[in-house]
Amino acid sequence: MEAEIADSTYGFLTAVESATHGLFGGYLLVDSVGRPLEFHCTAPVKVSRAQQILYGTTLPGHLHGRQIGATLLGEGTLAPAVVLTDLEAMLTVRPHTNLPVVLVRPAGAGGSAEATFLVGGASVSSGGSDASLQETLRQHLETLAITVDLSEPFGRIRAAIEEAQRH
Amino acid sequence: MADPAHASQTPGLTIRSLRGDAFTLPAAQVLSRSDFHLAPPRSLRLPIAPMRAPVLQVGLLTSPPQVNSFSFPRSSVPAALVPRRPRPAPEAVAPETRAAAEPATQTTQASQQATPPDAPPKPARIVPPRDVVKLSERFFFLLQPDLETQLHTSQLDFPRTPFPFQLDGMAFLMPRHGAVLADEMGLGKSMQAISSLRLLLRSGGARRVLVVCPKGLVSNWVRELGDWAPELLVTVVEGDPGRRRWLWSLPDVPVKLANYEMVVRDREMVAELGLEFDLVVLDEAQRIKNSSSQTNVAVCELKRKRSWALTGTPVENSADDLVGLFEFVAPGHLHQRMSPRAMGSAVVDHVLRRTKDKVLKDLPPRLNRDKRIELSAQQRETYRRAEEEGVLRLAGMGREATIQNVFELVLRLKQVCNFDTATGDSAKLDCLEAELDEIHSSGKKSLVFSQWVETIGRLKTRLSRFGALEYHGGMSTAARDEAIRQFKHDPAHSVLLLSYGAGAVGLNLQFSQYVFLFDRWWNPAIEDQAINRAHRIGAAGAVTVTRYLSVDTIEERIDEVLRRKRDLSELILSETGSPEASGLTVHDLFALFKLPPPTRAAAA
Repeated sequence: MEAEIADSTYGFLTAVESATHGLFGGYLLVDSVGRPLEFHCTAPVKVSRAQQILYGTTLPGHLHGRQIGATLLGEGTLAPAVVLTDLEAMLTVRPHTNLPVVLVRPAGAGGSAEATFLVGGASVSSGGSDASLQETLRQHLETLAITVDLSEPFGRIRAAIEEAQRH
Repeated sequence: MADPAHASQTPGLTIRSLRGDAFTLPAAQVLSRSDFHLAPPRSLRLPIAPMRAPVLQVGLLTSPPQVNSFSFPRSSVPAALVPRRPRPAPEAVAPETRAAAEPATQTTQASQQATPPDAPPKPARIVPPRDVVKLSERFFFLLQPDLETQLHTSQLDFPRTPFPFQLDGMAFLMPRHGAVLADEMGLGKSMQAISSLRLLLRSGGARRVLVVCPKGLVSNWVRELGDWAPELLVTVVEGDPGRRRWLWSLPDVPVKLANYEMVVRDREMVAELGLEFDLVVLDEAQRIKNSSSQTNVAVCELKRKRSWALTGTPVENSADDLVGLFEFVAPGHLHQRMSPRAMGSAVVDHVLRRTKDKVLKDLPPRLNRDKRIELSAQQRETYRRAEEEGVLRLAGMGREATIQNVFELVLRLKQVCNFDTATGDSAKLDCLEAELDEIHSSGKKSLVFSQWVETIGRLKTRLSRFGALEYHGGMSTAARDEAIRQFKHDPAHSVLLLSYGAGAVGLNLQFSQYVFLFDRWWNPAIEDQAINRAHRIGAAGAVTVTRYLSVDTIEERIDEVLRRKRDLSELILSETGSPEASGLTVHDLFALFKLPPPTRAAAA
């Protein structure tokens, strides 16, 4: 879907595992001060044991990246300047989207093989090697981090998914 | 597995024929000579097994999951990229708030405020109430940033930082169509309501708001609205019927303010005008506890989308009080035959009540609030005449005016602020009486200080229904001791009237939760001593100190001078540790009337 470019829009993408239902995906688009603009959430995807064996190590990438991540990003009507995720598995959505996707973790959490930088007390792994793109992303995130704790909107997504299960 | 297709593709195997249920292979391809004693057969006919092995079909994860999408309107209010701040540490002194009432006999808590001392306070989030059913509306609330971030980025200025529990109160009110904010007196119910309605008006969630309060609190609401929502246009509905009709029908005023009597009186007018409000806020909402009262009927008839009630005493006498209240808040929700337990669970999503001991447990338990009182019209006229005459006289004396002359004028004006010398009117006493009413009904005790024995006498007469006792230097020691004994042990006596001179020192009255300074002493240190009769080690809980100030009078001017000095004093004291606060000097007294300082001889 073609979406209008909106520099002041940011995407937050994550997934929530439910023991009974499966994996829910949530994608929240916010403005530069964190106010919600769009929210998209998937029905749960339940993976069978046979599928786990069949897909093997490729399962997380397929499930998070293609099934949930790519589907959700495709539903957004606004193109965010950057998509943030708190799940490393969700980075596998990168081949399926033109949007820059970064991994946000608490500073000092470590563990990512990608180059990282610090923004607003969070560690950001952006992937890629294009220095100018890295700088652009950093600027966007620094703008957002003025008013928004970069890890906070994921909590909102989780709360909304919990609410959806109760509803 | 006997699979001909498979066999035909296997290197080295050639199917000679495939007929019906068997296929034939060259025997040499599958047998060796050692398998046979005689010559091997030229070919081998193998039957195809009639049974098929079960086939497991594993579906691939190919079809995308179903997605539910929700979009939300962009806020029309521009946001500011204001840096995030950590939640404020609780302040030593609570914000000046207009307090309303005392704890009810029933405590309903919709949220728990207690926070471990070392844990950072949880950000206040708007949680959708049960009566918001649509998932999209619930998501709208759930997906908002925390309230503090919203306030911060909405460029809403506040005169002082709200306490975390006040933010929680706003998060409670904002999404609700029917809500009772039942915080204990002194926790800032009106401030929470004003800030919430301000946010609603800003977000477009409301355009027409009506606030209804007791007559004596109208000017206080005007002032509080001015403090906490200075950009809002507020109209007080008052005057003759023609003027009121015009005021009621003003279209572009977001907030209208009326007293209960006016709402009752203008019941038909409001209906005739077809007025509808997006939000109606009732202050001191226990006024409508009687379902059959005219007040209850009149406010329940108001056409509205949201109904908020503010009261510290949602239940004064019986659970039926709550039924009357809920006829306004959520009609049909309660009925009189419900058991208290059923009633409690029915209202749990609508009522938020916090008590000082819960939310202020880690704070110094003293809440200061300055209550600014508008003089009554007659008081104002008497005051104006007295001031004009006095200032003219002093001006005529020029530099010969003595400190005594100025002092006399100040005293005279202060007395008019307490009581109109001509009519006996007292706006302060009207207000005090309303507040004591609630405190008395909750069984708590109040101290009232004045600098004049004569004022104490007048107060005693008017406040006799609270069992008011006096304590001043004109009484014998035995009489004073007896007054203290009665006040301490007899619940029928809930008010003790003291003079600063006799009551400011040496008394341990820490069982009193409320202190009223009916008029102000010259020196804040003396006031502090008076306040400390109740606010001292051993105090059972927070002490609310209310300092009455008559608006636009000598009292405000004195307060301004003392406040300046206290600020300076605190600045200095933080360095020196000296406990003394400054009082008024001769120069200060003359400056109150913009008079030149006296000559050295006159000052002496």
